[in-house]
Amino acid sequence: MRIHSNILPLLLISLVPLVTSCSSARKSPDAVEPAVTGKSVQTDGKSVQTEDDLDEYAAAEVSDPLEPLNRATFTLNHGIYTILLKPISKVYETIIPKFVRTGVHNAYENVKFPVRFVNHTLQGNFKRSGQETGKFIVNSVAGVGGLMQPAEKIPALANVPAADTGQTFAKWGIGHGPYIVLPLLGPTTTRDVVGLAGDYALNPVSWVTIIYGEYVWTIAIPAANTMRSLPNQLAQYDAAVENAVDPYLSTRTAYIQYRDEIAKK
Amino acid sequence: MRNLRLLLLLISIACLHGTLLASVNDAEKRLRSAIDEVLVIANSASSGDGLIKNLRPVLKRYLSFDAMTRRAIGPGWRQFSDEQQDKAIELFTTLIIRTYSNKLTPGAQPHIKFKPAAEPATGRVDIPTMLTYEGSDYEVTYRMERSEDWRITDVVIEGVSLVANYRAQLDAQFKKGGSEAVINSLTQSVDHPK
Repeated sequence: MRIHSNILPLLLISLVPLVTSCSSARKSPDAVEPAVTGKSVQTDGKSVQTEDDLDEYAAAEVSDPLEPLNRATFTLNHGIYTILLKPISKVYETIIPKFVRTGVHNAYENVKFPVRFVNHTLQGNFKRSGQETGKFIVNSVAGVGGLMQPAEKIPALANVPAADTGQTFAKWGIGHGPYIVLPLLGPTTTRDVVGLAGDYALNPVSWVTIIYGEYVWTIAIPAANTMRSLPNQLAQYDAAVENAVDPYLSTRTAYIQYRDEIAKK
Repeated sequence: MRNLRLLLLLISIACLHGTLLASVNDAEKRLRSAIDEVLVIANSASSGDGLIKNLRPVLKRYLSFDAMTRRAIGPGWRQFSDEQQDKAIELFTTLIIRTYSNKLTPGAQPHIKFKPAAEPATGRVDIPTMLTYEGSDYEVTYRMERSEDWRITDVVIEGVSLVANYRAQLDAQFKKGGSEAVINSLTQSVDHPK
């Protein structure tokens, strides 16, 4: 789970040394894509495996040299999410009407246009860069500053996959590097931490700190950004840990699978 | 003679294409009826426990829990005794049904858009869908395999495979303490949900 907040720059500075030791993600040779390679035979309602039927789901692996520290941070985050962030998120969902929440969410997503535009361009996907530009103009003008998303009703502009800097690195062939659990921000990898720094620099929401410099704005705008993304982020976290045998491993595997999928888009 | 061979080749290709199409259609039809049955039950459920109880027989009919358990445990499965295998299947089935039931909100109507399915291997069809549920869109791929009939063997949500996710956890348990550790961890998860 990624929660953007204004503590991000400090976290990034403290993590820079780790980036230099980044190594490629390790995947079991048979872990690329689950595929049926063996046959199941149905006998009395219970299938019997043959040959390599069992090896096809070898999990996506990632190097985790900091596992003891990561597990401790994971436990700390779990406490923060449960005790602090979930109640805050609940209050936000209760007191703010859904249409307002949707509008705020849409506006922040619209403002993040430079992140998507630059990354599509860096990935050499100029068609998507053009679509993002069209989407941004339509949503900003016809969607009242991005509060609504009329571009989603235009087939040529609808459902453009999102892009971020970590995804760009993945498309350039850079591996995950070691897995890290950041305090508050949650699971990531060294590649995605650097990517997150890129996203932060490209996101106009972060620029208010530099442009305005006024305390109230530097807190209010990123805080509202965090607030609007909290319910969704916490729901994703819950999905990974609920009914898990080992919530830490469940979250790690889900994160790596999800990022691998994003890199394919 | 050459023309006859060409004709036979074309007929074979046409038959193969027809068979593939039939597989995809059968699997998709089966998935649609599974989703319909689940939604009817979800919308008539009065409590969470009632939902789980009513969903169990339906999900057991449409999901291949033994294949899912076997694959979630991985190569260690071969070292399980028959009793341990039965126990693991029972526990994993309970866990999956509970996971699935928790995601259903009575009255919430999902909109499912089916995308073109693929048949990556004989007897296996992957059906990608776009699920719109409670205001959010999710890419969900159902992996189906044919034994006596078509059954779901994995659900992949936004690239995250349910079976692969459990494989990472259960394989680690097996490496720590063998089949007993896997059974104990499943029992613990069933008895004390996180």
